[in-house]
Amino acid sequence: MMRRARLGIVFGAVLLIALSAGCSAISQSPSVPPKHPEELAGWTRVDCLECHSDLSTGALKPYASFRHSTTFVRNHGLYSRQGQNLCQSCHGASFCQGCHARKEELKPSTRMGDRPDLALPHRGDYIVLHQLDGRMDPGSCFRCHGNKNDAKCRACHR
Amino acid sequence: MGNSFTQYMNGGIAMGHSSAGKCPGNRMTRFFAAALLLLAALIPTPSRSADITLSSKTYLLYYERDLPGSTTQNFAPVYEYLSADAAKLGGTSFSFHFYGWGRQDLRDETGSGKTTGELGSAYIQYLHPTGNGEMRLGRFFLTEGAAAEIMDGIFLKARTSVGLGVSIFGGVPVEATITSTEKGDSIYGGRVFYAKPGIAELGVSYLQEKGTFQGEDRKEIGGDLWLRPARMIELIGRATYNDATGAMAYQRYLVRLTPIARVDLSVGYEEYKYKDYFQTSLNPAFLPPSVDNNDKVQAVFAIVDWEVVNSVTLTLGAKNIKHDKESIGDATRGELGVKYSYNNRKDAAGLSAAVVSADRDENEYQEYRGYATYSPAKWRFALDALTHQYKQAINGTKNAYHVVGSAGYQLLELLQLSGDLTYTKSPRFDEDYAGLIRVSLFFGTGTGGKK
Repeated sequence: MMRRARLGIVFGAVLLIALSAGCSAISQSPSVPPKHPEELAGWTRVDCLECHSDLSTGALKPYASFRHSTTFVRNHGLYSRQGQNLCQSCHGASFCQGCHARKEELKPSTRMGDRPDLALPHRGDYIVLHQLDGRMDPGSCFRCHGNKNDAKCRACHR
Repeated sequence: MGNSFTQYMNGGIAMGHSSAGKCPGNRMTRFFAAALLLLAALIPTPSRSADITLSSKTYLLYYERDLPGSTTQNFAPVYEYLSADAAKLGGTSFSFHFYGWGRQDLRDETGSGKTTGELGSAYIQYLHPTGNGEMRLGRFFLTEGAAAEIMDGIFLKARTSVGLGVSIFGGVPVEATITSTEKGDSIYGGRVFYAKPGIAELGVSYLQEKGTFQGEDRKEIGGDLWLRPARMIELIGRATYNDATGAMAYQRYLVRLTPIARVDLSVGYEEYKYKDYFQTSLNPAFLPPSVDNNDKVQAVFAIVDWEVVNSVTLTLGAKNIKHDKESIGDATRGELGVKYSYNNRKDAAGLSAAVVSADRDENEYQEYRGYATYSPAKWRFALDALTHQYKQAINGTKNAYHVVGSAGYQLLELLQLSGDLTYTKSPRFDEDYAGLIRVSLFFGTGTGGKK
């Protein structure tokens, strides 16, 4: 508890410093809007380029980078580690945790069985297939199951 | 269901499995949740300016299991997923976000206990109008440099006018653990980055988590890169150096080309060493004897998305995986898919095939999938069929089949009712049928942030 208290004090001090001295140093370029200002049409794929041709002010990347192609979907983690704000503008704050959960019991593809068009992980009886995929490329499992979402793992992996 | 769910969260009756009960963050979790809910309630929120979003999704599943030497078990779990977002609190740039779920078994137990649940996130967020300045306080999911964590804590980020920026975070890690992390009581780190709009973003990050990760703390130094040297070319990558083992743990780099608007081509390289990448694991599946700790993976992959004609996209991909250890062998996966969107992009149909060719028969399989949706007026129908064919039989079976049929109806503008029927035949199931009823309630006063 003492360590937590010390951590709290440190971060509280940093917060105060940031608020009092740092505000003037913050860039004056507009941030990503908290929410997309218009409703997004369609369900199956969003293409930012239908309306945008310039840079996203907050993410500082062209909207073309965020086109939800297969490349983007499979590498979205590379983009999100440089900032989540742009994702949240359209997707909602809890969107990531639909898959990146801690001890999720229902697979996303089960919860969204009515959305076969989405690129959801582990469709079908994946418990069987994970023996093959996991043997070949355990790093692909590790990113989500290394220290989270492991409640079902313990049935076999003790 | 709403009352039961509240009971999980307030009473802490079933916040986790037995191991979760040992987590030192649990008291912090309840404290944080209570404090944040109180704080959110105290902030004045004039209805004219508050932007409220509420989503409730209730799932009732039904399935049976016949286990050898046992009677038939019937399972009927009800899950409630609740998310709520309140933006522009008091007309300010503060917002509050909540996400959690709970389960109640109506028949036999599906897990450890008839009830369980999880507080996924509950945090106050401040979004500065300029410089992408941000603050989060509470429980949240963070991806920032080396970090991809759920934590109870604080996160601060801002960028200066010259392009340099900094972010810091700290708190208590929130993990579901197999092995004990009773000593894992803090996580902190930060990232320094430089961003030039439309051209580059480079970051260096650090993360430290106190804990018993194979006898060491978790100490990671991360590097991230996004470069756009020309209009049609992106270079993006991430590398993690494990400071506890003193070696590079993980690298992934990607070249992305968009020569024309309808084509998205990428070629990438990934590498990780088991000993250094999995040192931070809390899951024995990634530790000896489950894996050979001396192995190393190098993978090369490529994928192209090509919108051949309007609404028809062709996807072609390949990935070659090489292991240092011959005991696993190498493998190559090739895949081909086509997707057609229609009905003003409310619906889609697709076909895909994937073939995995490997040094060892036990790693080889083929995958074929087809799906279609149809949404006339307030109805929505979906059909999804998937099959796997294994080169080497698993439990005496070489084929697996999985079919999901779904039908739904928009009862009210805010309320949708749907149901799925699933058939599975696989090495685990001779024949399995499962049913699911889904009730989705959505209320929102603003735009965006709903998908």
